[in-house]
Amino acid sequence: MDCIITIEIGTGAIRVAAFDLKGAMLGSSKGAYPTFHARPDFSEQDPEQIFITMLYILKNFLNEKIHPKKHKVVCICFSAAMHSVLPIDKNGVPLGNAMVWSDNRAKKEANELKNSKLGKSLYKVTGTPIHAMSPLNKITWIKNNDKERFNSAQKFISIKTYILQQLTGEYIVDYSIASATGMLNIYTLKWENDALKPAGITKEKLPDLVPVFYTPKKLKKEFQTSLGLPDKVKLIVGSSDGCMATLGAGVWGDGKATVTLEESGAVRVTGKAALQDDKQRLFNYLITEGHYVSGGPTNNAGSVFEWYAKQFGDFKNAFDLEDCMENLINDAAKVSVGSAGLIFLPYLQGERAPIWNANAKGVYFGLHINHQQQHFVRATIEGILYAIYSIGKTLQEHRNIKSLSANGTFASYPFWTQMMADIFNIPVHIKQGSGSDSVAFGSFLLSATEIGIYKNLDEAAKTVKLPDSFTPNKQHHQVHMKNYAIFERLSVKLFDEFEAIADLQ
Amino acid sequence: MILVILPARLNDIQKNSEQKSFGRGSWFFFANIVRQTSIPNDRMNQYYLRKECKELHAFPHIVEFAYKKISTIQFDSLKKETSSFLRFYYVVDGRFDWIVEDQHHILYPGDLAVVLPGQCFGGEKGFLDIGTVSWMHLELQQLEENGKIILGKWSRLADHETRTIGRILLLNNCSVLSKVKEAGNVFQIMHNEFLNQEVGYMARINQLIDELFILIARQLTRQNNSRRDFPQTFMKLEQSLRENLSHQWTVEEMAGLVGLGTTAFSEKVKRYTGFSPLNYLINIRISEAIKLLKRPEVHVTDIALDVGFYSSQHFATTFKKLTGYTPSEFRKKNLPTTE
Repeated sequence: MDCIITIEIGTGAIRVAAFDLKGAMLGSSKGAYPTFHARPDFSEQDPEQIFITMLYILKNFLNEKIHPKKHKVVCICFSAAMHSVLPIDKNGVPLGNAMVWSDNRAKKEANELKNSKLGKSLYKVTGTPIHAMSPLNKITWIKNNDKERFNSAQKFISIKTYILQQLTGEYIVDYSIASATGMLNIYTLKWENDALKPAGITKEKLPDLVPVFYTPKKLKKEFQTSLGLPDKVKLIVGSSDGCMATLGAGVWGDGKATVTLEESGAVRVTGKAALQDDKQRLFNYLITEGHYVSGGPTNNAGSVFEWYAKQFGDFKNAFDLEDCMENLINDAAKVSVGSAGLIFLPYLQGERAPIWNANAKGVYFGLHINHQQQHFVRATIEGILYAIYSIGKTLQEHRNIKSLSANGTFASYPFWTQMMADIFNIPVHIKQGSGSDSVAFGSFLLSATEIGIYKNLDEAAKTVKLPDSFTPNKQHHQVHMKNYAIFERLSVKLFDEFEAIADLQ
Repeated sequence: MILVILPARLNDIQKNSEQKSFGRGSWFFFANIVRQTSIPNDRMNQYYLRKECKELHAFPHIVEFAYKKISTIQFDSLKKETSSFLRFYYVVDGRFDWIVEDQHHILYPGDLAVVLPGQCFGGEKGFLDIGTVSWMHLELQQLEENGKIILGKWSRLADHETRTIGRILLLNNCSVLSKVKEAGNVFQIMHNEFLNQEVGYMARINQLIDELFILIARQLTRQNNSRRDFPQTFMKLEQSLRENLSHQWTVEEMAGLVGLGTTAFSEKVKRYTGFSPLNYLINIRISEAIKLLKRPEVHVTDIALDVGFYSSQHFATTFKKLTGYTPSEFRKKNLPTTE
């Protein structure tokens, strides 16, 4: 049987999956790599370890699940996390580790640029809010703080570019990943000269731009042999994890949005036009020419609930976080909607959309003597989803959203998904056994389109079936909206106090 | 076994059954705590053995053992000193200000300071504060920087277990264990055994020292690894692996560092990383090797040994299997001369 392999170079792990040509998953496998924090604001990964992990997992996966069944690999499609920066020297050797999406060291560079005249015009052409995570500011940081590395760098590439270069010899970056760098003009599809200036580079220092359907010339012979792949196996450069999660969730065109709930989260819509938000709260990434994924990210989704579980959960068995979280969710279900007026702001790691305040903090508000532990658990989940809703509301200023499709680890808890439906007051759909599959499935749809199974991505996206649906409870919605009004005001009103406490921490 | 129960001893029997609820075979001797009323009180409160004492002739590895109640401060009673012995200080009651390697610690009853050979230790003001302390100085047959430790013939711990314990002691750079009442029990029973010298006491004292090592190793891994946060714990382990990559790690050692049994450990690692512990290690080894291969001045054989392969042959096979290249082919492709 013919099959399509997808490889996701994720924020903490490689995920390899195989699909038959109808889109049924034949198997999957993952391998994790660590993120190093040499200083609190630093988040780095080792490009060689990512590469080796990818080879290791891919090879084992092929040997265990694909070759024994005589499946024929037609193509391999890549997706990756956005915002990484890896400087390489003139021989292509990495100059140290890669800075990954969560690396926050370029805060100062980002603020300076954001408040400058140039900053305002850049958002218009690049579609990316100016933030420490965007590669533009990360490269500026290297220029300002690590002269030696900056001067030795022949190129500044993404982790995905590095992996593809190792496999094929080409330095390329797809439009999706490039559109998240803050340096791509999303209309002309060229590197934006004005954006390169603050970083002190020219376009020769960046990889070549290619569409997501681009197929590199070939996989190096050595890898063909060691992986046991046919010499005409097609590689597809693919897109970013965010864009693929959106496509894989079937969100294409009007009326639909997707909510991704992993450690961090995002709400996204797709459309033929980029959203120009006056307050620069929303990103616009490119899937293909003329197709944008727009939305807002949050720092504080699953990671905040995990934090709660680690601090206050009951660990009967060592290290059994999942068990512990499930028990907490059962506890939360024991008290009624609105947590008896206990409101939680989940900004434990600062916040991106929509408030874009790196100094925002977590707050429990409205405590009284009758509140019990269950109220805290419930308020924590409600607060996390209120933050998601606040992104959704911002998007609704631009688009009419009639239904949501949810994906990611935390969307697989029905309690969370139902609560999301109640808060948004619209139906929420999930794929059965959803998990984080939608990135892989998006890559499958992209590959299947490239090899001609679907005419275009519009047709591909229509094949996504989302059987499980959660319908909103009107009464719950009303209670949530009363809490949410206070939540929204607190998020703004506490600005000065967030600044003050940040100085003390 | 015949158990004779006398009415007058009922109290002890109750104690006995309480102790048994520990449920572990190795704890059985705690059940035998019997107060010796025939020993005068001051001998109970001031007990001090050093190498010259005849009580220690049978224990060449024990350099000092003491149980001491301090009711008046004596200057210079605990000067800051380094020694080649492994030192244990357990606080029975009182509050003690101690310095271990320039680090100030305040110890309360139930706390135990473990001072490694070569570390500097003493009272903050150079004397023992008021209270009660029990201590022991132990001479190790061998302790290397990499954590290799040989206790001596007296110990019944298996070699690989001793090695894991040694590694735990060295890697957990933490000298004070808090709330280890079990260590207090060990000291108290040792004290009683020394006083009474009943039949079998030599074996028991040595067993008790083994027990102390086990206790400390387990407590250290628990104290320093939150059992709630596997990713964080795993990151710490991964750091230890990277810092000692040339070491021939075993799964048992890795599990020991994290404070889990080998089965649970392997399962957690597999679930979290997708790899078995040893395969994860190979992953790190190969990634480090790749970096070194890109630096022309390092010899391939040295790379193999540096990153933990036992021979360059073993390195070459593993490398080729994973990457499709032999190390030297890979190097050729990545050095500037080929351009």
